[in-house]
Amino acid sequence: MPESEPGLIRGYLEVLAGQLPGPIVEELSDGLTETHRSYLARGLSPDAAAEAAVAEFGSAEEILAGFARVNPARRAARRLLGLGPVVGGCWVAALATSRAWPGPTPARVVLGLLLVSCIGLLAVAALRRRYRVAFYSGIAGCVGFAALDASLIVGVLVVAGVASWVTAVAVAVSSARIAFCARVAVVSQQNT
Amino acid sequence: MRAEELKGHLDAVLLAALEGGPRHGYAVIEALRQSTGGRLDLPTGTIYPALRRLEQAGLIAGTWSVVGGRRRREYRLTPAGVQALSGRRAAWRDFSAVVTAALQDKVCPSPSPA
Repeated sequence: MPESEPGLIRGYLEVLAGQLPGPIVEELSDGLTETHRSYLARGLSPDAAAEAAVAEFGSAEEILAGFARVNPARRAARRLLGLGPVVGGCWVAALATSRAWPGPTPARVVLGLLLVSCIGLLAVAALRRRYRVAFYSGIAGCVGFAALDASLIVGVLVVAGVASWVTAVAVAVSSARIAFCARVAVVSQQNT
Repeated sequence: MRAEELKGHLDAVLLAALEGGPRHGYAVIEALRQSTGGRLDLPTGTIYPALRRLEQAGLIAGTWSVVGGRRRREYRLTPAGVQALSGRRAAWRDFSAVVTAALQDKVCPSPSPA
């Protein structure tokens, strides 16, 4: 939006820029500029055109709520939290039947702390409506879960050398989760 | 028609607006106004999250360009979007036919005197 545009529009965009990523704000700014111009072309004064454009665009709260709903990291966080017990159950069954808990006690503690941190980050992403907070928490949670899954797979297959059908199922679901997290990172990158 | 009345059909309406070729957000709104004779009254800003959702679903694809010194994001239908639009159209025709039949004025026979 050029410097000469009315303060009402600048202020409106500043509110959006406080919570949304730059590329999304750029897109909204382009749309708002076009809306403003259409009212100017109908003969309204710059300030009246700005008021009409902002009114037509809808409230900033409405737009922020709309983007919060389609935040890819937020939606991914909800799916990962929903599927977490399934993946966890597979690993508990695999480790209990093979009796091959990976690594020494400190390594297990680190894995446990990583798990709790990931769940916390995903919960923040799933529940917070602020786009940026939900976005970065969700991405961090995805990366953490991918690292956790990779550690479990390497620990059980390579270090402990366990091979059973229960372990194979756990490895398969963890691999699927790693692929899902990678896809979320790519989609999130494309959408910001 | 208000946005809430369009609930459940917004995606199909947006896909249809992109059927004629790539459009940016405001052009999508303008296309909808033209195609509906101005009867569709959507807050312009609510279109943008919906376009992002369709993009995430792989039904449309967005690309950036620079117009008049401003960055502009244009969207076009993907093959999956074309297919989805076709499916939505068929579903809407069925739904519309059923509701139209159900709501049709019926001449009620007057009760015969006892």
